[in-house]
Amino acid sequence: MNAVRIVLVGFVLHLKMLSRSAFTGILGVIWPLFFATTAFFMFRTRHDPSALLYASLGASVMGIWSATSVTASSAIQRQRWEGTLEPIVATPAHFSLVQLPIAIAMSTIGIYSMASTLLWGRLLFGIHLRMVHPLLFCLAVPVTIVSIGMLGFLLSVTVVRYRTAWALGNALEYPIWLVCGFLVPLSLFPGWVRPISWALAPTWGVRAIREAALGGSPLWDVAACAALGLGYGVIGALLVGTVLRSARARATLSLT
Amino acid sequence: MGVIEARDLRRTYKTTTGALRRRTVDVEAVRGVSFEVGEGELFGLLGPNGAGKTTTIKMLITLLIPTAGEARVLGFDVVKDAREVRKRIGYVFGGDRGVYERLSALDNLRYFAELYAVPAREQKRRIAELLDLVGLAGREKERVEGYSRGMRQRLHVARGLLHDPPVLFLDEPTIGLDPVGARELRATIASLTAIGKTVLLTTHYMFEADALCDRIAVIAEGKIVAEGTPRDLKAGVARGKVVEIEVYGTADEAVERLRVVEGVRSVSVEERDQAQVLVVQVDGEREVTHALLGRLDGSSVGRVSSREPTLEDAYVALVTAE
Amino acid sequence: MSSIRIFFVGGLTSYRALFGWLSPWILIPTFCVAPLFQILLFAYIGRTTHLESDKFYVVGNALQYASLPCLFAMAQTIDGERYQKTLSVILATPAPRLPLFLGRSLPVIANGILVSAFAFTVGALLLGVHVPTGSLGSLALVIAVTAFACTGLGLVNAAVGLRFRDTAVSSNLFFGFLLVFCGVNVPLHNLPGWMSTLAQGVPLTHGIEAARKLADGSSLGDVRRLVAAEAFIGLIYATVGYGCIRLMERVSRQRAALEVA
Repeated sequence: MNAVRIVLVGFVLHLKMLSRSAFTGILGVIWPLFFATTAFFMFRTRHDPSALLYASLGASVMGIWSATSVTASSAIQRQRWEGTLEPIVATPAHFSLVQLPIAIAMSTIGIYSMASTLLWGRLLFGIHLRMVHPLLFCLAVPVTIVSIGMLGFLLSVTVVRYRTAWALGNALEYPIWLVCGFLVPLSLFPGWVRPISWALAPTWGVRAIREAALGGSPLWDVAACAALGLGYGVIGALLVGTVLRSARARATLSLT
Repeated sequence: MGVIEARDLRRTYKTTTGALRRRTVDVEAVRGVSFEVGEGELFGLLGPNGAGKTTTIKMLITLLIPTAGEARVLGFDVVKDAREVRKRIGYVFGGDRGVYERLSALDNLRYFAELYAVPAREQKRRIAELLDLVGLAGREKERVEGYSRGMRQRLHVARGLLHDPPVLFLDEPTIGLDPVGARELRATIASLTAIGKTVLLTTHYMFEADALCDRIAVIAEGKIVAEGTPRDLKAGVARGKVVEIEVYGTADEAVERLRVVEGVRSVSVEERDQAQVLVVQVDGEREVTHALLGRLDGSSVGRVSSREPTLEDAYVALVTAE
Repeated sequence: MSSIRIFFVGGLTSYRALFGWLSPWILIPTFCVAPLFQILLFAYIGRTTHLESDKFYVVGNALQYASLPCLFAMAQTIDGERYQKTLSVILATPAPRLPLFLGRSLPVIANGILVSAFAFTVGALLLGVHVPTGSLGSLALVIAVTAFACTGLGLVNAAVGLRFRDTAVSSNLFFGFLLVFCGVNVPLHNLPGWMSTLAQGVPLTHGIEAARKLADGSSLGDVRRLVAAEAFIGLIYATVGYGCIRLMERVSRQRAALEVA
């Protein structure tokens, strides 16, 4: 019970902190819009409204990943700078219960980008959103957000060793957009790429969102997305022990 | 069995030197520290900056793994049973960082209350009590980024006490505080042992250790050089006196020359305004002033005075001894 | 992306201007991996939408990515100085400004050229894009001119940074603007009229057009007007940027805003 409370309270408080940084919000919304706009122009040349809708839904998730990739990869580093890493490690709470909500708060902020991208597509490109399964859409979105958060959590734990972790997270922005099929159908990729795509939760999240809007069977996709997300969480939690022990041995929990 | 037990704790850091050809150098910050703290004691770890106080305390609060040796808090090993230790200790570190700036003090405390598993129904009451205790009541809803240094320090104290731990570790808690704030904090610390908590305090303020602590261990260059009650340590220097000689510009060589004079126990240099003062501790019965001044022939010498030794002198002697 | 802001401002300022880039852990992800994936991303979107060829996207994105170091690094040299509190010291010296800024610009331009060339080469190899060997030299020239032009824009960006502090945000915005407007992934004739008109007045547009023609087999002579236009635009931006920096310097000296860290 305490574990659940820690995660919930942590999530709310970190969301509070993230919302209080105005720039985080604005740039986080505008950046993916550049790419969405480019994609919309490209898709528009097909003169096919369903193609544009396909692009709009895919592009809307781009911002969720952007909001997560760089910030999550450097999350632990940033706590070290703030001096909050040591006080947190010194508590009896399991470190993953602290890190997980941070990553999920980050991906949750991405919802502004998602809404903005859909609105942008509507206003400037006349892309009307269809909703074949509205309830499943409302399920698919949070599941995608949480799973992307879990991926961010796993990322934060695996790259913590590197001082320049943010650069690694930054470099992962485009690859996920590409490989998870946000704007490109997976069938266009060489065969060996597909297992990689399938192992990534965002692939299923985007599929779920698209199928909920355009028609299909999103439930399986939602389940796959959730399962993968859970998997990332578990692996991350297991790694945390090793990471922290190493940090305590090498005295890297603080800057001094 | 003591509440806090340290047995031959050692900690080595690897640092890299040089920009082009990086060499890894091993720095031994703590070189075999052992001590025990009993229940309800206020134990002081006293030493100059860089002596290894913070490293020692971090090993005890499970943030650092000792390179060698072992330590236990309330019977739990700090490495193997880290979680059990963390449940039972609180720690307060000085400094501006370590709290979430964009949150209010209240939110900070709420969060850590969860992390320390303070039961939900007790949290509100406990937080209110602590805010009152540290004097932050009424300002708890403001964001920490607007807090002064002293207020942040007090927030650290409140956080350390959230789960009512039986053992408390304080690392230089009054550093950077104004005199009034520091005094209030010391009073708070003293009251903690009055209610049965065990406190380990590190400081480099002599008078603070003297005033607060039941027992003191003096640490210098990673080793404990003396241990005992403040009275014991003072007794160590009660015999003898201190001669202070003002010199101008020749302090370093003077130190060497004076060290070898018979009866001199230690020589150290203090900067005071324009001059440097040689603080010479001498054995009690001897009249050495003449001999000392003789050795300083050729240097510019100002005022000369002699006085009774204080605990400060004992401390200086201990930490500067080769 | 906002966190790039946080890190460039908070984190990278602890590196000395350009030397921080030299860490392979930053170099490789930022200048090798990222541009490559930008090329792949848009090439595949191109395949999805049956718009243009892989070559189109390799050229467009490889050149556009030169703007990244040109924008960020230029602003960084100013930011870095401000962080180390040496900015006002330097600007207070009677040292002639032009060589000063030229000195700072050259490594930035070189950085841009290298990033572009690498992305172009590897992108072309990965996607099986063929470029006539004869054009390679001219392509290198166009890349150089484009990098120069982007650095001019970088100077303007840095001037903005002198006054408004948050260069990482403006750098990102300029980068995005160039991506959308300059015909990088969308042929200019597919863009609304006002956008393609605007594009004529910024760096990159002419450079990309020239590079595409060269990649398709045109000679340097055929594209000399475009190259000249690109160089000219770069010069204008560089001059404006330089002028703004001098102006900001004067204004900030009056208002003691230079050392706002």
